[in-house]
Amino acid sequence: MIKGLEDTIIKLRHFWHSNMRLVSYYWERTHRNRLATCGLAFIVFLVLLALIGPFLTLDPTEVNFEEKNLPPVGFTVEQSVYNIETGEFITKKVAGTWKHPLGTDSKGRDMLAMIVSGARVSLFVGLIATGIAIILGTIIGVLSAYFGGWVDNVMMRFTDIMMTFPFFLLLVLIVFIFGPSLIFIILAIGLTGWTGTARMVRSESLSLRTREFVLAARALGASDNRVVFRHLIPNVISLIIVIATLSIPGVILAEAALSFIGLGDPTVPSWGIILEAGQHSLDTAWWVAVEPGIMLFLTVLAFNFLGDGLRDAFDPKSQI
Amino acid sequence: MNATHHHQRAAEQSPGPSHFAGNVEMDNVVLKVNNLKTYFFTRRGVVRAVDGVSFDLKKGECLCLDGESGCGKTVTALSILGLIDSPPGRIVCGQINYDGLDLVQCSSRQLRKIRGNDIAIVFQEAQSALNPVLTVGDQIIEQIKLHRPLNYKEARRRAVELLAEMGIPSVERVMNYYPHQLSGGMKQRALIAMSLSCDPKILIADEPTTAVDVTIKAQILDTFRELKAKRQMSLLFITHDLAVVAEIGDRAVVMYGGKDVETAPVSEIISNPKHPYTAGLIACLPDVSKATDKLASIPGTTPDPLEMPPGCAFHPRCDRAMAICSQQQPPRVAVSGEHKVSCHLYG
Amino acid sequence: MRKSWLRDYIIRRLFYSIIIAWGILTVTFILVRVGPSSPADRYLANLAASGQDVTQVIAAIEARYGVDRPIWEQYTDYMTNLFRGNWGWSFSTSMPVIELIKKHWIYSFQLILLSSLFAAFLGILIGIYSAVKQYTKADYTFTFLSFIGISIPNFWLGVMLILIFSVKLGLFKTYYDTTLPLFSIENLKALVLPVITLGTGMLAAYVRYTRSAMLDNLRKVFVTTARAKGLPERIVIGKHVFRNALLPLVTIILFDLGSIVFGGAYLTEIVFGIPGLGQISFKAIFANDYPVVVAVTLIGTLVVLLVNLVTDIIYTYLDPRIRYD
Repeated sequence: MIKGLEDTIIKLRHFWHSNMRLVSYYWERTHRNRLATCGLAFIVFLVLLALIGPFLTLDPTEVNFEEKNLPPVGFTVEQSVYNIETGEFITKKVAGTWKHPLGTDSKGRDMLAMIVSGARVSLFVGLIATGIAIILGTIIGVLSAYFGGWVDNVMMRFTDIMMTFPFFLLLVLIVFIFGPSLIFIILAIGLTGWTGTARMVRSESLSLRTREFVLAARALGASDNRVVFRHLIPNVISLIIVIATLSIPGVILAEAALSFIGLGDPTVPSWGIILEAGQHSLDTAWWVAVEPGIMLFLTVLAFNFLGDGLRDAFDPKSQI
Repeated sequence: MNATHHHQRAAEQSPGPSHFAGNVEMDNVVLKVNNLKTYFFTRRGVVRAVDGVSFDLKKGECLCLDGESGCGKTVTALSILGLIDSPPGRIVCGQINYDGLDLVQCSSRQLRKIRGNDIAIVFQEAQSALNPVLTVGDQIIEQIKLHRPLNYKEARRRAVELLAEMGIPSVERVMNYYPHQLSGGMKQRALIAMSLSCDPKILIADEPTTAVDVTIKAQILDTFRELKAKRQMSLLFITHDLAVVAEIGDRAVVMYGGKDVETAPVSEIISNPKHPYTAGLIACLPDVSKATDKLASIPGTTPDPLEMPPGCAFHPRCDRAMAICSQQQPPRVAVSGEHKVSCHLYG
Repeated sequence: MRKSWLRDYIIRRLFYSIIIAWGILTVTFILVRVGPSSPADRYLANLAASGQDVTQVIAAIEARYGVDRPIWEQYTDYMTNLFRGNWGWSFSTSMPVIELIKKHWIYSFQLILLSSLFAAFLGILIGIYSAVKQYTKADYTFTFLSFIGISIPNFWLGVMLILIFSVKLGLFKTYYDTTLPLFSIENLKALVLPVITLGTGMLAAYVRYTRSAMLDNLRKVFVTTARAKGLPERIVIGKHVFRNALLPLVTIILFDLGSIVFGGAYLTEIVFGIPGLGQISFKAIFANDYPVVVAVTLIGTLVVLLVNLVTDIIYTYLDPRIRYD
């Protein structure tokens, strides 16, 4: 009884150690890629910003028309201001202040605070929607590969239809119909974005079953458990990690694009919504459109760098 | 200086008795490779793939380059044609004399005129050596039009002739075939036809018999033998198979670790190998006259190209190794007329 | 004759495409009709303000547009009409949908065509160069730039281009001028910023695809054969390697059309105010003008399906080994 338990513990410990070795090996390979490391660093920074940032910045919803359209620190712009006493418009120079390091928008809201809370929204949408899409895609892919036959056929034909659908058009339609609330946006992206994952997971599972190293492990007398845990799962998981990392930027962009065309959740200050507002005040306050865009761009870039590095680490052969 | 042996340019090649001593002018040598060194500068270190190879190729002869895989045979061939990928590879020293030119110093324009026209090469696997998305005909015509002032029609006629000469049936159809539509032997023939399309003076064959099965192998060897007889062409035949050397070669260069360890007429090599490595190779040949159930083999493995043993590269595997073998590179000595060997046993 | 299987294949694929198109059409129709709003909505505010009985008017309007009947009837009606070539009536613009589409498709077409040409031409050239010069500074630079191009949100890029070139430098108008004749230099000039906006992401993607497809083939033996023939490097790369790299490239480039181009073109049209199909469907969505929405979605889908089919056919000519059985 005790003996069996000990055995199990030893086996578990062995499993943990050998998988940790694998993890550290992959980490080593990813780390070697300088761009991937930069990407990871930026993502960590962004996560910290989203978690702690809102406690350190001003209230992003606080409106103050006295301080509207302030440029970022270091910039000076000319503004025409209505002078109440004389009843005339006068042109005066306005400089950025350290109170609003990134300036303010047309309602005098602090840009820094808005950007920080926008990071929260973007990451939230990115992670949750990707999570839904990946889980859905993995389930459909694995089931398709596992059952084969007509199940596989029906599921893959359905995937084909979903893939042919102009993705963004479908998204716009769904969000418009069910209303622009963040939850629906996340659900819409998650429920439409699983097709690529399903395809890749399916073909990976199909090919893994007959791959040489699995056959070799079998031939060497490895148990089914060992084959599954040591060979199949690590391989599928590495694929899923890569797909997830490379899908997040697309999801973040989709949310931003929806917000940008006016289908964003108006109650949540996402980068897309700030950008949409900034687009209309390009001539008076360019920074309102520039700043959230830069954050969006850097975030997408960081995930792309990381995803690319991870893929290289997991599968040095693949190039695209 | 090296070419002191007369070589008979007869059609039938029964090497051995037909070789006799005599004086022949230098212009009998069409290609002279002298102390060629081709290194690859990789991230992990310098690979000395070819590290001081010298040999002469005479007019109308078949010279075999023999050795285990990784000994630098193919790199030697690619160096001759100036086809070393650079970076990482580079010819670091040596001369390759052809037709009064040193191919190592030639401009790429000069080299392009020689490639395919004066010196052609047939690669090991016809399957991967032919472009899969172009028809066999197009690939041959392309080369003819490149080096000959012919129009498309004339070039096509020539290609048809060549394929027919190689014994390919229903040539007109085959011209429009893509490589995947041909059998392995047919592909190999088409490839040979392509390499012959501009009547090269030198044909390099890089293990053309390795990737095909035994019957086709015999056919291809026959083809090469006929070609040599008919076309007065020099053949540089690269192979790891001494049996093939014995069958087709006039002279052989045995390579090991990027160096030529023994050069001699084939009959000499077979009957009187001097270098322990050559002797080992010959001992490995299956001998039908003796009934054994075991094939002999040379102990050990080919050295890591990044960590070549010092001195003679073969000494860790050599059963006659001496103290000096691990310290000094053996000099090249002539043991008799045209028989040269690099080994301390004969120093 | 040699390709007789191809005809069977095309017929099968056409059939299959029709099924997919029908599936998408149905999904779109259902989505639009289960939505909580009706074409009468946009009159309600006015009607209520003028004191009319809203429910009666709604019923009248819905009866007028035929949306008061059960959804199943509407669906069969719509399908039969569509089959006869009648694409329905646009409520919001008061014209037949087919007329609306005829008027606007060219704006989308010119934008997508010019962007694709710009992106494919430059992208393939840079990709080839990058692959041939692998691991050089130029290659690293282009690879880095392609990352940037892929990551830059295209609608933001559009806004930035307007900010810099229109607002600050005054080189271009801030919106697309619809009064310009289509085939004129002015129109081409007006399309410069939109084409860059839509093309940049595609360009970057094509650079990466081309580079990797070229690298896959550059080290193959047949390339050495081509060099051993004495061919100049220009032909070795441009003909022998590129012809082989083209196979995966064509698939990916045309496959992208569905995702990058339609999503991107949609946003680009909105940013620059180009009155293409993207913009009319965008406006139609907000106006609850479902026949337009369904029609534009259908056209998008049909184009994707058609392009996929054409890709397969092109593929048989590029890769003689392929057979669809």
